[in-house]
Amino acid sequence: MKLRVQLQCKNLHEYLKELSPEILDRLYNHPATCLAVYRELPSLAKNYVMRMLFLDQPLPQAAVALWVKKDSQKDHDECVSVLAGLRLWHSQQLQGGLQGYILNPVFKDNLRTALLGGGRAWADEGSTLGPDRHARDIESLDRYAMERWEIILQFMVGSPSAVSQDLAQLLVQAGLMKSEAGEAPYITSAGFQFLLLDTASQLWYFTLQYLKTAQSRGMDLVEILSFLFQLSFSSLGRDYSVEGMSESLLTFLQHLREFGLVFQRKRKSRRYYPTRLAITLAAGVASSSSSSNLASSPGTGDAGFIVVETNYRIYAYTNSELQIALVALFSEMLYRFPNVVVAQLTRESVQQAIANGITAQQVLLHWAHLHTKNSTPVLPPTITDQIRLWELERDRLQFTEGVLYNQFLSQADFEVLRDRAQGLGCLVWQDVAHRVMVVTPQGHSEVKRFWKRQRSHT
Amino acid sequence: MASEDEINLLVIVVDVNPIWWGQQAQRDPQFTLSKCMDAVMVMGNAHMAMARTNKLAVIASHCQGSHFLYPSKSWSGEDGGGNDVSSSGDGKYELLSAANNLIVEEIRNIMSKIEVTGNSTDTLLAGSLAKALCYIHRLTKELEVGQEIKSRILVVKAAEDCALQYMNFMNVIFAAQKQNILIDACVLDSDSGLLQQACDITGGLYMKIPQKVALAQYLLWVFLPDSEQRSQLVLPPPAHVDYRAACFCHRNLIEIGYVCSVCLSIFCNFSPICTTCE
Repeated sequence: MKLRVQLQCKNLHEYLKELSPEILDRLYNHPATCLAVYRELPSLAKNYVMRMLFLDQPLPQAAVALWVKKDSQKDHDECVSVLAGLRLWHSQQLQGGLQGYILNPVFKDNLRTALLGGGRAWADEGSTLGPDRHARDIESLDRYAMERWEIILQFMVGSPSAVSQDLAQLLVQAGLMKSEAGEAPYITSAGFQFLLLDTASQLWYFTLQYLKTAQSRGMDLVEILSFLFQLSFSSLGRDYSVEGMSESLLTFLQHLREFGLVFQRKRKSRRYYPTRLAITLAAGVASSSSSSNLASSPGTGDAGFIVVETNYRIYAYTNSELQIALVALFSEMLYRFPNVVVAQLTRESVQQAIANGITAQQVLLHWAHLHTKNSTPVLPPTITDQIRLWELERDRLQFTEGVLYNQFLSQADFEVLRDRAQGLGCLVWQDVAHRVMVVTPQGHSEVKRFWKRQRSHT
Repeated sequence: MASEDEINLLVIVVDVNPIWWGQQAQRDPQFTLSKCMDAVMVMGNAHMAMARTNKLAVIASHCQGSHFLYPSKSWSGEDGGGNDVSSSGDGKYELLSAANNLIVEEIRNIMSKIEVTGNSTDTLLAGSLAKALCYIHRLTKELEVGQEIKSRILVVKAAEDCALQYMNFMNVIFAAQKQNILIDACVLDSDSGLLQQACDITGGLYMKIPQKVALAQYLLWVFLPDSEQRSQLVLPPPAHVDYRAACFCHRNLIEIGYVCSVCLSIFCNFSPICTTCE
């Protein structure tokens, strides 16, 4: 029985919690990171941080607990744990012997810098280079970003596209593709699930994987993360210069160029433009509403859309290879025309997709994304229910390993052993009439020992 | 998942009455207009730092009118702000430093151009509030489909109340109440009955600051949380409100008066024909 691997898209907090304390402290040395982390906090925690930002002494814990009303005590506890988990504040003994909270000093200083000024500049703006003769406007930046991202996705689906060796290797390491020796990589079930996510989640997942492999490439994790956050706070349409960036950062910049997160006219060009993808990156899994063209999944460059009918037919008005490949994942292709693709949802096709690891929820969410602002989601309830039912059909049977005990000589023996197994908590199933019971493998040795002792007594 | 982001708009109306601030500078050189503007900017920066979708507007209100400090007419907006915007030379977040530079420049322009003539020494607060409401209304109209906006106005008041503005003030307050816009008041010197009523009616917070020097701290602690967060936090309780109306003929606050049965306007002396509706 194949286990389905669910694609987890962690958000910024969980990623940071996993980092070691020294790395976290070094990370907080940059104002951009502090601001990014601050923005991801729950709103009550933001208020706490803001209140303590300008205090230099610790506050008693009791005082902080009094900040919330009685009914919001649960929120208060949650905030305390979030802030402690991210090492934003820690307890300190006050003079009177009470426990107090104080903000992480590095974090405090850098957040103050981000809000009020002072300290080093984040990045050199392109003002020293003079106005750019080949300046790009925002639409061309958007187009460029979506193009590059789509090329990556198309590579995953298997259509031929030019992707660098590095990138292919990253995809393999991320588990999204698998490569047999010597052959071109092909997509895995995790890869399928990845394709169905929306762009912001895809970006974030990808970046996380990249960060994980960064250390093995010899790049400094802290530097890269700081640069990433700094990028996410830059303004769209402005160019920034590459002055003062170290070697590893420049390599990172080239990789970002390939993902479509920045635009650089040439490899050696001294200025770069962040694209919309980069700016929404730190927004993480929560997508931003301002980029309405990002809310639709990539490949709808010609604003194609998909109609799902109640007779289980799908009409996809699109030319994009990627969209067609995605539709082909869980339906049978019937006809293909220059501007339409007609497909049919059948039980076999949906179950095959589910066997590949995609859940019904992901498929439905993916379709819901395609119906953005203008039309209300028009997925017929019959179709959604039916897809869910087909998915449930695979779950009718559940397998548990166990050890069978049968052929008891008397009812009393059976009951004694059964009670013992139940007391140990390892009884899986029993049938009193036939004197048969099933015990988990872990409990089996214990029960067997008990039975031997029992038999030697009687 | 798609467009659930709610825009939180904070409009700060700062009372820059030159007469009051001039006297204040003589009374207490530690707390001047520039210190007050610094505190306001800290508050604005903190608000913008809270979330990507937070917006800010700052209006300066003085005795001859009101003026938008941020966003000003020459500000072309966030995207493609490009070349006219000076970049931050230090560690401040770019957007914040651009906003701060603008505010400083504009307030400098205003204060150098004001000429106080004759009797008009009162801050035209009602006018500024009306401007704020119009700005909010315009932004609400410009929203994309699916976006929501929540707005509130914070008034930093320095000079005394002007009873002449009573009618306009009440109209503004009721308009704000209709639009679900909170009006908060942070009063530096003397209690203001009009603002107390405004805060009470719209559901905002009214606070008279005991120590002016600590303005930034009060702003961050009390006025920064938005309405959702306020339901969770313990904040100063509402004060007793002076609900006396002003009569329409002299603009005095009266406790007992005469009311026209047709238009409900209030007078202190009996007169057979109502001046409002006849």
